[in-house]
Amino acid sequence: MPDAELPRARWLHQRIEGAGAAALAALEAAVELWRVYVATWAGIVRRVARRRAHGRPRGELARQLYSIGNRSLVFIAVTLGFIGMVMTYEACLQLARVTGDFSQVGSQFLRLIISDFGPTLTGLMLATRVGAGIAAEIGSMKVTEQIDALRMSGVLPIDYLIVPRFIASLVMTLVLAVFGAVVMYTAGGLTAKYSFGVNLGLYFDASQVRARHVVLLVIKAIAFGAAIPVVAGFCGLRARGSSEGVGWATTAAVIGGSFAVIVLDFVISAAALFVTGGDL
Amino acid sequence: MTLDEPPPGVIAGIGAGALRVAQEIGGILLLTAEVVRALVAPRIDTRELWKNLYKMGNRSVPIVVLTALFAGGLMTLQTGPFVKKFGATALAGWAAGYAVLREMGPILIALMFSGRVGANNTAELSTMTVTEQLDGLRALAIDPVGFLVVPRVLAMMVTLVALTVIGDLVALLGAAVVAHAMLDIEWSTMFHSFADNLRPFDFLHGVYKSIAFGGAIAVSSCYFGVTVRGGAVGVGRAVNAAVVAAAVSIMLLDFLLTYLTG
Repeated sequence: MPDAELPRARWLHQRIEGAGAAALAALEAAVELWRVYVATWAGIVRRVARRRAHGRPRGELARQLYSIGNRSLVFIAVTLGFIGMVMTYEACLQLARVTGDFSQVGSQFLRLIISDFGPTLTGLMLATRVGAGIAAEIGSMKVTEQIDALRMSGVLPIDYLIVPRFIASLVMTLVLAVFGAVVMYTAGGLTAKYSFGVNLGLYFDASQVRARHVVLLVIKAIAFGAAIPVVAGFCGLRARGSSEGVGWATTAAVIGGSFAVIVLDFVISAAALFVTGGDL
Repeated sequence: MTLDEPPPGVIAGIGAGALRVAQEIGGILLLTAEVVRALVAPRIDTRELWKNLYKMGNRSVPIVVLTALFAGGLMTLQTGPFVKKFGATALAGWAAGYAVLREMGPILIALMFSGRVGANNTAELSTMTVTEQLDGLRALAIDPVGFLVVPRVLAMMVTLVALTVIGDLVALLGAAVVAHAMLDIEWSTMFHSFADNLRPFDFLHGVYKSIAFGGAIAVSSCYFGVTVRGGAVGVGRAVNAAVVAAAVSIMLLDFLLTYLTG
């Protein structure tokens, strides 16, 4: 019965076509993201090789350092402070139910914060705040044709816009990760003291922290700091249309940045586990 | 937001910042009050509600599943080596499961939801606002809050709870996969460990947090969507402000709910 078979065949055909188109679009986006990343490094090399500031606004790097770093301080302090309090509270609650021995809380929490929670949660928060900011800014410039104007003036948009943000984000993510870890740990200590009566001298105990945990914090912070501006800049440069396009670009930057942080965190943690032979 | 020049004086800057934050909090609370009032004598556009439920719920499943898989795996990666060092593999599921169900699951899913759905919602509403479609609705005597905001708030609260339930289960699966593949802990050990050490209340704790997270994400994203000003630049800034406000309120609510309910 060919007449009855035809709609089903067409339905299947459409599904396969749709899946193929989605896969092709994803591949194309991945290639383009990679190009933006490579072009950013090329821009940094050009910037170093060519001493004279050519086609680059004065003080742009300082302005980006200020807007990515200083202006995120309160945001990072509030979010990581609260989550540090919650985590200590939950851990103490559970320990009180099982053993009632709080002597290990501080040292183990510090180990976890340095090797994972500090940089990762800071990265997630920056992916939201900084990633959305970069994508909104570059996306608005794209749809108002300022990017085309830059190209026409012989300035590479990636050198002019993404490179300063990339360098600023590399530096500031590391700084903010350390700051966030300190805030998180301190807030947790105060919660442990005032809610569960844990001795602060016992809590502030760095005996479980080893050099490899600090190395892990630095690697993670640098990886997140590199991923966030590249993903956000890529999304901004892809913005099309008008205000709707900017909205889409900003949304994509937040999702892409957060997801990149989570995946990178997983990959780096798993690699560290293999390198250290299961004794992290 | 990020292009702002440094303010002329430190104290003036702090004051201006505090005023802006106070204005935003007030605006969000006023919008919440309006939404609640619209719910008392339900004036909800059901077609809009179903459309949003599908768009926000079904279409977010892939990203939530992926995030949850990685989140569960991460928790095992962080707690597993410690548990293994003491030979207490029976507790591996306890540590990872407890962290996933009560904290990391709901928070990470809410953050991804805020990025995918909340930001998208702000983008959509603010585009409608700058193209004066909201004024058009008012001119037709249709209340924009009842027509646009209330269905979105309801849809986000419902879908975030549903996504958290799915995500929690997927995260536990991710934890077991990583435990099996990287730490050589048997599947059965892990699942018995989940079953023995996790209480239904741990699961519920995460779920009722996600109701609050959904409400907070929804109201803040709608607020920044309907108050936007100034074309494409304004839309970008509104989305940025909405995700920042959502992240702060998720952390704040998480702390309050954990502290108040244990």
